[in-house]
Amino acid sequence: MTKDVLAGSGQGVKKGRTRYAGWIGTLARSPLYRGTIGLLAESRVARLAALLAVPLAWIAFFNIGPILQMANISLLANYPLMDGDEPVYTLSQYALFFQESLYFMPFLRSVVFSVAVTAATLIVVYPVAYYIGKVIRPASRNRALLLLLTPFWAGEIIRVFSVIMLLANRGAVNALLREFGIIDRPIPMLYTYFSLSFGVVYLIALYMLLPLYSSIEKIPNSLLDAASDLGAGPLQRFRRVILPLSRDGIVSGCSLVFLTTIGVFAAPLLLGGPNTVIFPEIIAQLFHGSNDKWPAGAAFSIIMLLISLTTVGLFVRVVGGRNVKLM
Amino acid sequence: MRLYMKNPQNVFLTGFYWAFVAYLFVPLMLMTAMSFKDSNFISFPIDSFTMKWYVQVVQDEQFLSAVGYSLMIAFIVTVVATAIGVWIALLASNEAIWGKALIFALACLPAVVPGMIQAISMRIFIRAIDVPTGTFAIILGHTVHAVPFVVIMAMTRLRSMPSNLVDAARDLGADNFIAFFRVTLPYLGPALVGGMIFCALTSIDDFVRTFFLGGYQTTLPMLIFAKISGGMSPEINAMATLVLIATGAIGLYAERRVRRSRN
Repeated sequence: MTKDVLAGSGQGVKKGRTRYAGWIGTLARSPLYRGTIGLLAESRVARLAALLAVPLAWIAFFNIGPILQMANISLLANYPLMDGDEPVYTLSQYALFFQESLYFMPFLRSVVFSVAVTAATLIVVYPVAYYIGKVIRPASRNRALLLLLTPFWAGEIIRVFSVIMLLANRGAVNALLREFGIIDRPIPMLYTYFSLSFGVVYLIALYMLLPLYSSIEKIPNSLLDAASDLGAGPLQRFRRVILPLSRDGIVSGCSLVFLTTIGVFAAPLLLGGPNTVIFPEIIAQLFHGSNDKWPAGAAFSIIMLLISLTTVGLFVRVVGGRNVKLM
Repeated sequence: MRLYMKNPQNVFLTGFYWAFVAYLFVPLMLMTAMSFKDSNFISFPIDSFTMKWYVQVVQDEQFLSAVGYSLMIAFIVTVVATAIGVWIALLASNEAIWGKALIFALACLPAVVPGMIQAISMRIFIRAIDVPTGTFAIILGHTVHAVPFVVIMAMTRLRSMPSNLVDAARDLGADNFIAFFRVTLPYLGPALVGGMIFCALTSIDDFVRTFFLGGYQTTLPMLIFAKISGGMSPEINAMATLVLIATGAIGLYAERRVRRSRN
């Protein structure tokens, strides 16, 4: 590729006017382009503005704007604003959240549920990540990983639906148990915390797998060998070498899984029941129907955002590794 | 070498890995198997097989229009998100810019805000800027969500790019734009194509943003969701299986491509 560029330019210099071929040449010769380039070459400010304008506008307008607008609405006493109305600000929506157990309890359930799911995912995925990163031959690691990644490209809804196939009253597990005569009546598994956590772990395991794998894979084998040579048993080796060295992966994986789980929406709609009402459903209800509930919905979203981000922030601080990446 | 030998805990880990593979694949396989069931109800066991659900699905107007609509949205989202994402990545990896860490962090904000809250904040936001729910709102929501992934992918690739490539182009007389289009962009190429496919797939798969931002026309996940909530027949299984095969194959291809470009 470098060669190509060099050859192209060299040729261009010889021929003088036809410096570039193809559409790039057409573009480079157009007056508009030449004018712009001339302007940019003259002024450092214009150069900076050209690089900065679109990204900064995008970030300010679409990444920060919606959150600010949500915060703004959460403080309004009179919403929707009619023409000529002066906005009146109040904290009553936030007070409502802490007074009303109808809102507060689902929130607590959501937090506890997310923590439990995060812990369960860590326990289930860690051995898998360790197996791919350390047990199998390096040559087959990519294949072992790709095999696990494939199901994740099926959408959220499709994977939730496939969990219904497994757990429904007339689903595969109950059919199998009845076939073997273990049960007469189907065990109700769907619409419970069991089906919900089963489905959510199914949806998010990937977010745990990738960070864990990349940190475990980086642990030098020589350290593991040294631990064994010095007399560490498998358990001690795990506790004193592998676990501390995979801390970065654990922290990023848990943070990602927690943030995703607390905002999970499709899974509780389809896999949850009346007993498993969690916070996102409560918020969603406030946005259906009339507009005057929006400030409450916005306030609850802000509370949820703040608490989930602080939880993750604290977690990273306390457990923290040196090189925690959320991506 | 000891690590690769068969010992009890490695046997256990091998078993655990395959159990996990089963956990991921069995539900999807059951779903696929059910799509061949010759009955109007979804229930196990399956005793007779048919292809009629597939015949019905490929003739289903609703399904075909949802596929078209989802693809159209995914295409626009991918193009816009790639352009903006690469632009932000160039900015955030420019040595001369002050505060690039902050810019990067803010650019990645939509990737860490829980999906539900992001959807709601967009719903509130489009009302404030007078955009109705519908196609444009969906595209906006999906694009905001997709940009961070392009930024991260492009920055990872840019970091490995020798800076003298651009310097050489500049010395040979290329201006900023030409250097970008003929040196930087081709270098980003392989990683970017993978990133673009991911953008398209996340847009096609997205449920929560479409749920809050969508209008009357349904996207693919919305259609499947509506069918699941409104009584089930194996037709949904056939539909979901077709989508599963298509997205799985494309995702696998993109994943392989990105991993190869990193090595």
